[in-house]
Amino acid sequence: MKFTCNQTLPERAIHIALKGPDGACQRGDGSGCFIASNSATTPGDMTERGCTYAGCRGVVGGPVKDVIQLTHGPIGCAFFSWGYRPHLADSDFHMKYTFVSDMNETNIVFGGEKKLLQCIIEASNEFPEAKGVFIYNTCSTALIGDDGRDVAKQAEELIGKPVVFFECEGFKGVSQSMGHHVGNETIFRQLVGSVEPEGDFSRAINIIGDYNIKNDLRTFEYLFEAIGVKILTRFTGNVSVDELKIMHKATLNVVHCQRSATYIADMMRDKYGTPYINVTLWGIKHMSEALRATAAFFGLEAEAEAVIARELAAIQPKIDAYRQRLQGKTVFIYQGGPRAWHWIELLRELGMETMTAATTFGHDDDYQKIFDQLSPGALMVDNPNVPEIEEILRDRRPDLFISGNKEKYVAYKLGVPFVNGHTYDTGPYAGFVGMLNFARDIDKALHAPIWQTLRTRARPAPVAHHTSHGFEEVV
Amino acid sequence: MRQVAFYGKGGIGKSTTQQNIAAALVSMGKKLMVVGCDPKADCTRLLLSGTRQPSVLDTLRDIGPESVKLDTVLVDGYGSVKCVESGGPEPGVGCGGRGVITAIQTLETLGAYKEDLDYVFYDVLGDVVCGGFAMPIREGYAEEIYIVCSGEYMALFAANNISKGIKKFAERGYARLGGLICNSRMVENERAMVEEFARRLNSKMIHFVPRSKDVQRAEINKKTVIDYDPSLPQANEYRELARKIDANEDFTIPTPMSQDELEDLMREYGIVD
Repeated sequence: MKFTCNQTLPERAIHIALKGPDGACQRGDGSGCFIASNSATTPGDMTERGCTYAGCRGVVGGPVKDVIQLTHGPIGCAFFSWGYRPHLADSDFHMKYTFVSDMNETNIVFGGEKKLLQCIIEASNEFPEAKGVFIYNTCSTALIGDDGRDVAKQAEELIGKPVVFFECEGFKGVSQSMGHHVGNETIFRQLVGSVEPEGDFSRAINIIGDYNIKNDLRTFEYLFEAIGVKILTRFTGNVSVDELKIMHKATLNVVHCQRSATYIADMMRDKYGTPYINVTLWGIKHMSEALRATAAFFGLEAEAEAVIARELAAIQPKIDAYRQRLQGKTVFIYQGGPRAWHWIELLRELGMETMTAATTFGHDDDYQKIFDQLSPGALMVDNPNVPEIEEILRDRRPDLFISGNKEKYVAYKLGVPFVNGHTYDTGPYAGFVGMLNFARDIDKALHAPIWQTLRTRARPAPVAHHTSHGFEEVV
Repeated sequence: MRQVAFYGKGGIGKSTTQQNIAAALVSMGKKLMVVGCDPKADCTRLLLSGTRQPSVLDTLRDIGPESVKLDTVLVDGYGSVKCVESGGPEPGVGCGGRGVITAIQTLETLGAYKEDLDYVFYDVLGDVVCGGFAMPIREGYAEEIYIVCSGEYMALFAANNISKGIKKFAERGYARLGGLICNSRMVENERAMVEEFARRLNSKMIHFVPRSKDVQRAEINKKTVIDYDPSLPQANEYRELARKIDANEDFTIPTPMSQDELEDLMREYGIVD
């Protein structure tokens, strides 16, 4: 499997792999080796990856709802990391503000520690309702060697609230994935276990790795509660800093995003002996399995079956109706990491087959999970660039493209129906009820009247558009 | 585990002194790790008999952070001293200070700070020029600092500057000045002046290392003095210095001087006319 657009970038070959008719891996370089991932981007590759700061500020730390989210760096780092991810919460403070130490030329030359301390004090005076301060380090302040850990310690004594410094400088890793790791480690080291609450936690669980995108939590929290367990801490969706401090009291960790949050589950297992289970909270089969596995841990199997039966009775007829309309359609999923494998089964439940799956920052274990679920003939791409995405849409012609907002207009230009899986069109998409939203959005995308209009009335895209990306002329 | 940082003017003999102290501590049965924090990567040469091990940053660049193993960058030197060099960019490019931060964090991730170590030495390039070169004296790292100097004006000027850096960290509750090591340059009145300088810095001259050709002789043979010939009088000087450091319990927050005060001191002792 070779891409025309990669003629001048042969290094990309090892990041592309086909599942052969015999089920074996056929990598782009002609070898049978597994797809290469989580490695530095090739120079010249128009990657869509983010940075370590983005992964820490945007994904893991950002959803904490009652802390001052303070970027230690130039002002642009703060603005472009604010508000683009709808990790919602039941707090007026959350996502409303972003804070920055606004490092300028003079601060970089003379050091930014004093200014950072001043920022923390000012912000915490201005917003006494905040329960703490999260500080995110950026490239510039890391480079000049500002000792943010120490500033955080000083500030903590001055304001009397937790001040957590994340060493998530952007240049640290190969993608935003390193930022997730830093976020997990820092929260674990600084907050988890810092308070020992009294109470009965024998049926308490943590949901690890759900960021409450468009209120995903609402679709499954009540299911877990209905089987008789209590959710202690959501790492990190709609979560308060006080809940992070006590999450070590949980009896079981239920890990949803296994790329960005397994780190903390591992650390809790090693330090506190807390066991964890890996689950997927999207789709009928996976959501049911997640409830059954959780219930089995607490001996609540009968309750779980009752909950599942009740839920399925309500949604199955609707799902069946959608399946009638979606049957046989092919899908190209391109997500940040695990959603590419979380959704393969869900789409099958809707009668659809994933023919191409790609991730921005997936690691080897993510691709293994994708590969195991794909059918022969399907393609995997690691860290795809824009020309590759265009070529997949043009040559493999998926019926549907599920990706993020930045790919939306490429898909529309090439006439491919699109659903925003990154921040959802009209989510939430998780759980049983969320799946109906997902199915509805897919149905709307596929059967929008615009496609018929385009087929009969639109002029073809200008040739220059294709040739500028090195494509051959479309006849 | 005691973590110790050595600072001092470039060319004053920091690395030579530090390695000779390390060798002397080994002869006292201590377990050590020496972390060279200098882009030139020459802080462990005498302990390794001139062989150069791959530096942490070279290794990170060449094989990538996932592939770096502790035993690639941590090599056993004289008396099983664990030797590691942070390394860094060529002169005139990149950021050496960030290199020190990255190297020390990498060592931590790789688990280089073993519990059975008695000492970790940081040998840091010249002045505390930027935040990166202060990394070894941040919280959780070196708690005691020795400044290597001589009776020359520029050496004391540098020592005074370094004290300003230490003061900043010391006032936050960690990193203390353990004393000044006078590496003699045969300057007139040298011992008395450095003693007075140290007193005004609210510290002490922990030892006066006399000038000896044996140090150079050992160096040409790529050895510390103790390794080269343990019977030399200079070997005793280093043993004495190591013993004083090992017994040292007197750590202070330095009180750096103004330039005028420093020049007055030099005048008093007849160095500046």
